[in-house]
Amino acid sequence: MRKLFIISTVIFWLAVAGFWLADLYMTTIPVTDVSPVVEPAAKGYLLAEVAGHAKQDDCWMAIEGSVYDFTTYLPDHPSAPELILPWCGKEATQAWQTKNKGRAHSSRANQLLEKYRIGTLR
Amino acid sequence: MTKRLSPRSFTAPSVALILVLTVVWMTFPEEIPFWRSLAIVTAWGGSGLLAANLVLMVREPHIARQLGGLESMYRWHHRSGMIAYLLLLCHPLALALNGWVEAPQLAWQTLVPWAQSWPLWLGWAALVLLMFGLAATFAVRLPYRRWRAFHFALGLGVVLALAHVYALLGGADTLVLLIVVTGVALGWRLIASDLGMASHPYRVTQVVRQTGGMIEALLSPCAAAITVAPGQFVLVAFGDGKTYRGCGEYHPFTVSGIEADGGLRIGIKALGACSQRLQSLEPEVLVRLQGPFGTFLSGSLSGSPFAQQLWIAGGVGITPFMAALRAHACIWPTTLIYLFRKEADAAFLDELTALATTDPQFELLTDASDKELPDFPELLGKIGQITAREVYICGPIPMVEALLPLLREMGVAEESIHFERFDFR
Repeated sequence: MRKLFIISTVIFWLAVAGFWLADLYMTTIPVTDVSPVVEPAAKGYLLAEVAGHAKQDDCWMAIEGSVYDFTTYLPDHPSAPELILPWCGKEATQAWQTKNKGRAHSSRANQLLEKYRIGTLR
Repeated sequence: MTKRLSPRSFTAPSVALILVLTVVWMTFPEEIPFWRSLAIVTAWGGSGLLAANLVLMVREPHIARQLGGLESMYRWHHRSGMIAYLLLLCHPLALALNGWVEAPQLAWQTLVPWAQSWPLWLGWAALVLLMFGLAATFAVRLPYRRWRAFHFALGLGVVLALAHVYALLGGADTLVLLIVVTGVALGWRLIASDLGMASHPYRVTQVVRQTGGMIEALLSPCAAAITVAPGQFVLVAFGDGKTYRGCGEYHPFTVSGIEADGGLRIGIKALGACSQRLQSLEPEVLVRLQGPFGTFLSGSLSGSPFAQQLWIAGGVGITPFMAALRAHACIWPTTLIYLFRKEADAAFLDELTALATTDPQFELLTDASDKELPDFPELLGKIGQITAREVYICGPIPMVEALLPLLREMGVAEESIHFERFDFR
């Protein structure tokens, strides 16, 4: 069992080091395509429109002036569904900033957020 | 430890398996990416095993009997802890791989603590504590007291792991189940066992110096006596006396004699710092006692089916056989091979020699060997009808490990070999 502990611990730290090296040396965004990206004008939504998407299989939220469609993300959210589902169809800035224990979301969550942005709140 | 597998041998692993399967079933993810699913399953599986690991650490005679004995519990305590650790190592790696699918940089961002918030720091702290605690657990040369202190880091690691899950998920049903199981097991162990709330008060009434490095203490009950059978052991913590200062920590001692008034004799050999200090033990010292535990010799004393006995004792391993011989004359024809370094080190030798002359069923063979191990083939060659005997072995691990293959080679059936060794680290 002692050997198993040593081997597994070494493999774990080697894997962590591998992820660190990948972060340092690997690029994921193809650099060949240098044509300028023209961002389409953000679509504006009323809070009443957001409120029409208040279900688990159709979940929008308004956060800090933007509107997000979290329908595909909900199964990936780490917290229990009953914590996040009540915010579907609502202005959820406060929940975003304080979560359920008064703390802010992580920087990684900030990065993820952009992926689900569909427009702005009018 | 006895080799014979009874249905109760499977109780301890079954408890761990049922708990972990229940937890994984309650939290099994659906319709989410593979690596994230794996991260969730390993996290809950590992947490379930950590809770089971703590249940198997509870030192209570009734529970130990139900779970196949303290030795079986400790064996599965070690195994479940190790498997839990492996699963929990996979958890962050699976999360990182889930990020990797999207972008390699995201894998590192998932792992690195400074890109995270405090709930994930708790997870990292728990994993590092488990790592540290296990490293200390496997450090066999660490003095017992320091080893024990480091081992507590594992308990703290479990608490931090559950705090990590609570910070992320809130009071989910599965988590509440794990918190309750962990809380009861940890509380029971700390309050009832380590702080001695469930222990029995005894006091030292006699100390007999057996050899230069071994004493025998008679412990008499201050209240109701516990019922002990020969071959069983108790956990004893010695307090202070007029001049003696006890180390206060529990150590296992096999009972070497059971008195009619409930008094227990235990042999204490100087093997570590605490047992060395115990060599200057004096009467009137108060002790806290837990037990009894173990089933060694229970088959030889219950008397069914008929079998001649071969008992092999090495050094302080003589104590369970002393308890049996002192309790009553041998039920079956019994040969005891008593191994020691030199005659001056052999505790109870005069008493055993006297017993061999008065009990016609009892034969004593002794061997003093200054070498690492005695010549076992020659010794066992002296035993008649060895394949018809039930063999009980108690002594140092190298001795047991040298004897087992030899006995099998000589045709002794696996289920007729029973051995005991203390390995409670």
